[in-house]
Amino acid sequence: MMQIYRIAHREYMENVKTKGFWIGILLFPILIWMMIELPKFLEERGIPTRHLVIVDRSEGLGEIARQRITLLNRQKTLGELQQHIAKATEEQRKEKMEEVDIDPDQLLDQLEQGLDQLGNPDLEIQPFKPDQLVKIGDLLPEQMLLNDLQWNNIKKLLLSQLPDDAPEFIEPPLRFKEVTLPEGVSLTDGDQQIEDALRPYLRSEMMLKSNDEEVELFGLLIIPENALEPKARVRFWSSNLADTDLIDTVLDSLSEEARQQEYDRRGIESKAVAEVASMRVRSIKFNPNKSEGDEKVGIRDKIRQYAPIGFVYMLWVAIFTIAQMLLNNTIEEKSNRLIEVLLSSVTTTELLLGKVFGVAAVGVTMQCAWIGSLIGILRYKSGPSATWIADLIAAVITPELLGGFVFYFIAGYFFYAFLFAGIGSICNTIKEAQNFMSPLMLLMMVPLGTMTFIPNDPNGAIATTLSWIPPWTPFVMMNRMAASPPASEIYGTAIMLLISVVVVFWLSAKIFRIGVLRSGQPPKLLELFRWLRGSHS
Amino acid sequence: MNTSPIELNHVTKTYGDFKAVDDISFTVPEGTVCGFLGPNGAGKTTSIRMMLDILRPSSGTISILGARRALDVRSRIGYLPEEKGLYKKMTATAMIAYFATLKGVAGGEAKRIAGELLEKYGLGSFQNHKCEALSKGMGQKVQVLASIAHDPDLVILDEPFSGLDPVNQGVMEEVIQDIRSRGKTILFSTHVMSHAERICERVVIMAAGRLAFDGTVDEAKSLLPRRVRVKGKGAGAALEQLKDVTHSSPSSDGREGVAEFQLREGADPQQLLKCAFEQNISLEIFEVVNPNLHEVFVHLVGEEAREAAYR
Repeated sequence: MMQIYRIAHREYMENVKTKGFWIGILLFPILIWMMIELPKFLEERGIPTRHLVIVDRSEGLGEIARQRITLLNRQKTLGELQQHIAKATEEQRKEKMEEVDIDPDQLLDQLEQGLDQLGNPDLEIQPFKPDQLVKIGDLLPEQMLLNDLQWNNIKKLLLSQLPDDAPEFIEPPLRFKEVTLPEGVSLTDGDQQIEDALRPYLRSEMMLKSNDEEVELFGLLIIPENALEPKARVRFWSSNLADTDLIDTVLDSLSEEARQQEYDRRGIESKAVAEVASMRVRSIKFNPNKSEGDEKVGIRDKIRQYAPIGFVYMLWVAIFTIAQMLLNNTIEEKSNRLIEVLLSSVTTTELLLGKVFGVAAVGVTMQCAWIGSLIGILRYKSGPSATWIADLIAAVITPELLGGFVFYFIAGYFFYAFLFAGIGSICNTIKEAQNFMSPLMLLMMVPLGTMTFIPNDPNGAIATTLSWIPPWTPFVMMNRMAASPPASEIYGTAIMLLISVVVVFWLSAKIFRIGVLRSGQPPKLLELFRWLRGSHS
Repeated sequence: MNTSPIELNHVTKTYGDFKAVDDISFTVPEGTVCGFLGPNGAGKTTSIRMMLDILRPSSGTISILGARRALDVRSRIGYLPEEKGLYKKMTATAMIAYFATLKGVAGGEAKRIAGELLEKYGLGSFQNHKCEALSKGMGQKVQVLASIAHDPDLVILDEPFSGLDPVNQGVMEEVIQDIRSRGKTILFSTHVMSHAERICERVVIMAAGRLAFDGTVDEAKSLLPRRVRVKGKGAGAALEQLKDVTHSSPSSDGREGVAEFQLREGADPQQLLKCAFEQNISLEIFEVVNPNLHEVFVHLVGEEAREAAYR
């Protein structure tokens, strides 16, 4: 036992001292942090106002498009305003723990009163509760947003309801802004002429003037005269066609207009159609596995259903990084003949176990650091603006998921570690090992491939079958954990997995014993079988 | 202790049809330095691995320090394998201390011993250098020190001199002499006969998996007859006739006009001098040549060595 500990201790200390280990430890939280922060960062800084020129040859369609662009801009501002309100009222909302029922009609009435009061300060109005302030943005009808006066008043009203110490709201830059044609180009010019003239601007070779500022031209939109006819095409020029928000918005608005005109032509009341089209049959989802009275399936359950994917991925990465570590240093010890000195001091079994335990400790350290930093980051980021994070934490930290993760990590690791150590022992170089690794890698890819579809049918035939195949058991079962698979399967596959670990250990120890002392070419398969049958050494 | 530190009894090791070691038996008495000689492929390393219980013999028995299995007495054995390697990222001290702890020395004590050994053998200033920063000679020294840091009773060194420059070979001889002076038993394999001749009291010679010789160095040398080299007018024809001379030839050292006479076992070289005196032959050169270990080795394993080379 002491020898196993000493070997494990050395393995652990030597691995922990490597740069790779620390990069591995630090990279994960950095990646998670970036995954959370990057989209926000890009949204805040990355997308500047896009400037565009609209050439409207039709009667009034340009106006429709412009309105829709304004709506888009204001919705963006509204979103930011809501976040600002959420942040500013965070304290207040935390204090009042009781849920406030929000009645949309009543809330809108309250808003109307508030807007009236802006024009007439003597009017008494009912103050908004913090929760109402956060929610109200979702209820605003489009007409209100499109009405300049109302829009400005809404902003003013909502901001006036914030606590005194709330920070100032800084309006985000507009998403899209229309600019006029540059000098020398006129709307009376032909489309072709305008396109040719704007080409250098669209290529960012020249800058446009807008409010005495030099700006880059993002897009040119030409709406033809008969834009609503089936054969007509709206022409959209941009050197960044990946950003489809603008053209999608414009096409949506024009399509709507086309439909409206068609309804009118056929004498159909469009409002009725819209009402009919908005009809939805809704459902409530129940899960019989949940406790009585709590069978309703909510967002938390959804997260819970898919959270294991994260665990499976982590399991996979962890098992294979550290098993690979084991493979590499077995080959190192073998190729520099240290193994022979070791074997004069310890048995092959002690050596094999010592190495596997030592590297396992490295893996556990890494996992703890990862999970710890993940929970730490999520807790830190969790707040009213990101309630999904709290849902995620609650969904993830459950005995079956964490317990499953620990068990499948240990069992899966030992399964693959013994396999890799066996391979390491018969190879003198990493290159030789690669020949053996290729089929093994294919075997390992299977759980990755099934990772995303198993949560859709966690107790189905495929998932059940795969669970019983030991190399895949840890991943597939981990993936199914949230769906409460039958206890017989949990224990059955676990016992099967443990037996396989013992078998793989026994086989590997046999190969290891002969392999580590062997130099020259790795053995052929047939020879390996002979080793296993014991007709060697 | 009555038993010898190393005892092999009819030990055979086969790989399929190939006999790597074929029915060898020998003992190494306590406190001796024993050379383990043989050409490449003679079965030395396989025998050493069997002694250390790294490999199991196909048949026969081995006793090491009175135990059936070397692992039972591993804390009393030190071993330096033929191909030497180090943990590149470990420091010299940590490397020596690690192997000492595997032999049962406590951690702190192992570090202290490692430091002392490095100091003693001229590597004091490299204690905290990583092994990858050491020269080949230094690295090899570190490995030898790692194999003896736990002060073993039996030290087995497989080709300890290979790859060392003459200065470091001298240091290695010094290490072996130090171990011997503490009454420990040493078995070392080598190709270099001059080392064996200088250091060993006994030699075991193997050829093609079989035991070719086991005994003291003097006994080994007595396997070859003594020779006399003579130069003088008419000396060759006159001395050839003597009954103690079994064979004559030009001198093997290539000197012109010098004849070499091989003597019968137990013959006195003075007989040749006397004969020359009686026949009035004036001698310019008269040398008695004792066989050296190299010659004994070539004599014993010459054929097998060639065969082994072609195998």
